[in-house]
Amino acid sequence: METFKYLIVGGGVAGATAAETIREHDPAGTIGLVNEEPYTLYSRVMLSKPGFFLEKIPFDSIWLKNQEWYQKNNITFLGGKKAVGLDTKEKTLTFEGGDKVGYGKLLLATGVCARTWEVEGAEKQGVYYLHALDDAKKIIAAIKTAKKAITIGSGFISFEMSDLLRMAGLEVTAVYLEDYYWQQTLDEVSGKMVEAALERMGVKLMRKSAVAKVLGTGKVEGVVLKNGLSIPCDMIVCGIGAYCAFDWLKNAGIAVNRGILANEYLETNVPDVWAAGDAAEFKDIIAEEVVQEGNWVNAHEQGRIAALNMTGTKEPFKFVSFYTTQGSGITIAFAGDVRPLPDRTIIHRGSPQANSYVRLLVVGYELVGATLINRTQELTTITNLIKNNVDVSGKLDKLADPNFDLKTLL
Amino acid sequence: MANQVEYKRTKAGSKIAKIVVDKDLCIGAASCIAVAGTTFELGADNKVVVVASGGADAADDETLILAAESCPTKAILLFDAAGNQIYPK
Repeated sequence: METFKYLIVGGGVAGATAAETIREHDPAGTIGLVNEEPYTLYSRVMLSKPGFFLEKIPFDSIWLKNQEWYQKNNITFLGGKKAVGLDTKEKTLTFEGGDKVGYGKLLLATGVCARTWEVEGAEKQGVYYLHALDDAKKIIAAIKTAKKAITIGSGFISFEMSDLLRMAGLEVTAVYLEDYYWQQTLDEVSGKMVEAALERMGVKLMRKSAVAKVLGTGKVEGVVLKNGLSIPCDMIVCGIGAYCAFDWLKNAGIAVNRGILANEYLETNVPDVWAAGDAAEFKDIIAEEVVQEGNWVNAHEQGRIAALNMTGTKEPFKFVSFYTTQGSGITIAFAGDVRPLPDRTIIHRGSPQANSYVRLLVVGYELVGATLINRTQELTTITNLIKNNVDVSGKLDKLADPNFDLKTLL
Repeated sequence: MANQVEYKRTKAGSKIAKIVVDKDLCIGAASCIAVAGTTFELGADNKVVVVASGGADAADDETLILAAESCPTKAILLFDAAGNQIYPK
């Protein structure tokens, strides 16, 4: 059995960044990088962007690190291997098929799974998820012949996919449970701005709608909604969130909630085991809460910090998470903690009429989060206001004035 | 490519003499800002720009390379004084 000083489970941006950072700080220690997909690091972000999805740029632009990079950095890439068992006393990881590897220090950067759509007929051919590269390949192939598509959900996957499918010339209907788009994260004003953008792209919106059944013999031919309405289609893309059971980790004694639980140093409850990336549910010392983030920037930073801690530095993860998306002629950005909890004071900055609108969430004297529509130029400043715990009490009227320069508060 | 914006860098001791942002590739993921927030910021079009007042010289070489490497679309290109591309390699 081969044993690595550092073993990383997950070859996405968190895992690959961790491997790179470990190598910088420990030139000689052996590193094993396990990836369920056979691929070296690629840009998961690009999967749902027009350049790649509509094949305007070469397919190979998806690769961020190649085999040569792993070899050059003396990182053993264990691609196409699925971890199914962990023994934290023997310090071994078991792969599907029974092979084992040993570790000194282990990083769990597994990512999460696309939530499965639990609807009658959802197993039919033509129902897609956008999670990994192979999923994207299937959808890219399908849009070449498909004429009518349905997207399920009102989050960023369905938002980006609705736009892309329209750009590819398909008729698109967006079906979602919520009263307005992205209701879990956005307020109604912002959500309606997103909906207006999608409608301008020609996407048909079906709010407060759930699919009762997927129609078709073997292959998708349409859906029936719970209100009885039938919508024909030849493909469906589900974007209904992320979830992982993590049973194999629970069985190993790793504390798991919705994600793998970790403290501010990204350590799990078990010695010599860390967590990073989308899978980590960690102590956020800025928000002073345990949170789970699902975005590229967060994963990149966590991979780096976990690696520093694995190589002997003691550095907490202190980061205001943010991400952006664009499509249908609108840009949407999130910064910090955007959950609309009861103790938040909401400040509105700008308006839909001005086509530029920010919702600032304030708790006590400080800003904790923001959502920005068509106003990403303020993202960096807002992120810094959150990170530096800037006292904004008594300045709420200024925050609400779109002509007031937020930088002056820093 | 058509839509590239170049920024001269004159930081003492730096190997990097030019930062290029490819606005066709940039998707505003903003990972570069997380790594090198003194150099990069987002513009109103959700594309990255180099901070106008001294941003090009603000970060050290290591940070700048890390920022470019973190970009999920390889939209940041770094060049040395002789015009050789340092990143992406």
